[in-house]
Amino acid sequence: MSTTAIRPESILRDLQKQWEDLASQEIHSPTESAGVLRACAMTLVVACRTPEEALDARQVAGQVMRVHPSRAIIVHPGSGDFDARVFAECWKPFGRRQQICSEGIEIIAGQGGFAEVARFLVPLRVPDLPVVLWCRGSSVSETGGFHHLYPLADKIIFDTHDVSDSDAALRSLRRLHAYGMRVADLHWTRLSGWREVLAHLFDSNINAKEIRSARITYGGDSVTTCARYFEAWIRSSLPQARVALEPEYASRGIYSVTFDTPKGDVTIQHVGEHTLSVTGRGLEYRTGLPSINEAALMQEELSILGADGVYERVLNA
Amino acid sequence: MATANPFSDPLRFERRVPECAIVIFGANGDLTKRKLLPALYRLAHDRRLPESFAIVGNSRTAMTDEAFRERMCDSVKQFSEDTEFDPALWDRFSRNIHYVAGDMNDPALYTALAAKAEATGQKNMLFYLSTQPSYYGTVVDGLGQAGLNRCEGGWRRIIVEKPFGHDLSSAHALNQHLQQVFPERETYRIDHYLGKETVQNIFGFRFGNGIFEPLWNRRYISQIQITAAESIGVEGRGAYYQEAGALRDMIQNHLLQVMATIAMEPSAVFESDAVRDERAKLLRSIRIMKPEDVPRYSVAGQYKGFREEEGVNPQAQTDTYAAATFYVDNWRWAGVPFFIRSGKKLPKRVTDIAIQFKAAPLALFGEGSGEPNTRPNLLILRIQPEEGISLRFLSKEPGEGMRLRPVSMDFNYGTSFGERSPSAYETLLMDAMQGDATLYTRQDMVEASWKVIQPILEDWGNRKFTFPNYEPGSWGPAEADAMLGRLGLKWRNS
Ligand SMILES: NC(=O)c1ccc[n+]([C@@H]2O[C@H](COP(=O)([O-])OP(=O)(O)OC[C@H]3O[C@@H](n4cnc5c(N)ncnc54)[C@H](OP(=O)(O)O)[C@@H]3O)[C@@H](O)[C@H]2O)c1
Repeated sequence: MSTTAIRPESILRDLQKQWEDLASQEIHSPTESAGVLRACAMTLVVACRTPEEALDARQVAGQVMRVHPSRAIIVHPGSGDFDARVFAECWKPFGRRQQICSEGIEIIAGQGGFAEVARFLVPLRVPDLPVVLWCRGSSVSETGGFHHLYPLADKIIFDTHDVSDSDAALRSLRRLHAYGMRVADLHWTRLSGWREVLAHLFDSNINAKEIRSARITYGGDSVTTCARYFEAWIRSSLPQARVALEPEYASRGIYSVTFDTPKGDVTIQHVGEHTLSVTGRGLEYRTGLPSINEAALMQEELSILGADGVYERVLNA
Repeated sequence: MATANPFSDPLRFERRVPECAIVIFGANGDLTKRKLLPALYRLAHDRRLPESFAIVGNSRTAMTDEAFRERMCDSVKQFSEDTEFDPALWDRFSRNIHYVAGDMNDPALYTALAAKAEATGQKNMLFYLSTQPSYYGTVVDGLGQAGLNRCEGGWRRIIVEKPFGHDLSSAHALNQHLQQVFPERETYRIDHYLGKETVQNIFGFRFGNGIFEPLWNRRYISQIQITAAESIGVEGRGAYYQEAGALRDMIQNHLLQVMATIAMEPSAVFESDAVRDERAKLLRSIRIMKPEDVPRYSVAGQYKGFREEEGVNPQAQTDTYAAATFYVDNWRWAGVPFFIRSGKKLPKRVTDIAIQFKAAPLALFGEGSGEPNTRPNLLILRIQPEEGISLRFLSKEPGEGMRLRPVSMDFNYGTSFGERSPSAYETLLMDAMQGDATLYTRQDMVEASWKVIQPILEDWGNRKFTFPNYEPGSWGPAEADAMLGRLGLKWRNS
């Protein structure tokens, strides 16, 4: 399709036709059919920097859509004209005969870039449902044109996993938040497993008021956003305690945290890729961290469409 | 610990249960195998249980801890419908499973249990009575005498399975017996219907949306039908079932609780006692039938072939089908009939609530051919299977003229939320361990619902029915149709 030929209405017509085709395939299937169910709870716009990244993103979006049925719109730059095509992601839930499908649109930005895409997206959003923009691969400080899409979204998801300047990335996120945008960072989401183990310790074993100081250690050459988040989370949760963040000879990421209490220290420490150990004050156990991939991170973020008080507090701490 | 945890993040991770042990009486039984262990395993899978969480099982069969673990492992593999078995997880989880053999009638059992419980190092304990109801009193007394019902610096709770009594006076006696040993706030009467996601969603639907609640009253609603139909028969549980019957087994507990959820007033806050107060108030507002009204407002049925089932008395007067018409005497519902029915060997397995609104006041479009052109709107809350909500309304048929046809607007729970829903037992066990009794039935609710059922039980107990009176695969006896027919109404049989 060429730039001039593509209209949002024609894409919507293609989507409609796709549904009719899917339904008629099911009806004519040789095994007993229970029809196709069209599922949609949001519009998920995935902005990518390259066609290769878009291919990857489509796979991840496919997994995500099973938990959060959505209209996925994958956008990436291309060398040629503006182009668009529709696709469907179908699955049969375990033990059910009915096929569930979510729909998708792939958009290749032409010369007009993401500014043109933004205009095009307005009628392609599913009316009255939330729009989430996932800026895949872009660092929040160098947006690569993705910023044209920000005003369309109810929530914008970044990943500061490999930014070199964590302070600059956090400043940009704070700025967007201050402009009233709901932002999220998958590098914060990666901490959920760690945070959960820590929080459970304070559910029943330790009284937060007893903590005098906390020492966090991290591995890698530089301070990641993840270490900054972790520090800010602990500092804002324990206003009375001194909190130190120190490097450690270990692989990138949070390595340990030690709480100093009048009854002795308690330490949580990485002892394997997916294992943490908890020791001190009579406690001694290991606990598994869930293995997380991008789809799992996205699924967690898409479950939170309203305000995320804890993240906002940490971001601004 | 009383102080709030500053690290909690309920949007990301749910509160785990506090360190505790669950002691299951009747651990060699069906319920433990099919529901309790798979639910606990799933909670461990979801990392909701603390590291040292312990399970202590009891029944008479002599078994080592190891043998009991193996048996439970088989059950988890067989009955965890949507959870993959993870050997490494099972290994960690099963280390804290223990077993104590002994007879519930034997006081020595409780001393042995106390010793085992002590060895687990847990102060907090949840006792689960997964036994025949005739043992409830014995176990509660045994726990009390062994001092297991209280603990300095920890909690002791008890979960009681249904049935809670077999009539009003036995329910009252059971409640009094329980309360001599466990305070009401530590007594959790389980009604697994209330733990179902879709029943909980009734709260979300009614009180989270602005558009339905204004219509939720006698001015706009003409009738409500609650159906719990099963296509199967008693499936080897004939001996148990013939003592219970559909009225006791389904209507007295599950369906009256569902009715209470549908019809209760909103509570000021969503907290355990506030919600249960409203439910109890609704149950107390259900009009108690006068003896002379019972035949008009209730119908008993028995399917052809029930008396030939294994373990069933060939003269059994058991109701494998029960239906009743209830009225709620309050301002919101005065005059609106609630029709409730439940039965076995009906055409399909379905549990739903159909709320019928009053028809449009005027047939504006004249009589077209076929469908009448005013039809009441119908809102259907489907509890199982295919959980969801449908709204039926009339729409213009395409083409010339103004011919209307009913269409349905559907919301399907499972497909709008791709996430797995926790099973009712997962939800309820978590709640009990966290001390949240919102979805559990309180003493006054149990007694109020028995009070509603009691006149029917008495009338049916004094009558000799000419059973069987319905064919397997039909929608029950003709008298049930007649009960609605007298009001000019029909059951929704779809
Ligand atoms: N089954 C279900 O799906 C279901 C559903 C809803 C509610 N319920 C309720 O849940 C409860 C348990 O149901 P269930 O079917 O699992 O019960 P069950 O099989 O009748 O009893 C459970 C176990 O208790 C043990 N037991 C019996 N007498 C004993 C004694 N004197 N001392 C110690 N242990 C004894 C037996 O094992 P040993 O032979 O090894 O002693 C038996 O396997 C009942 O109240 C039932 O109404 C059950």
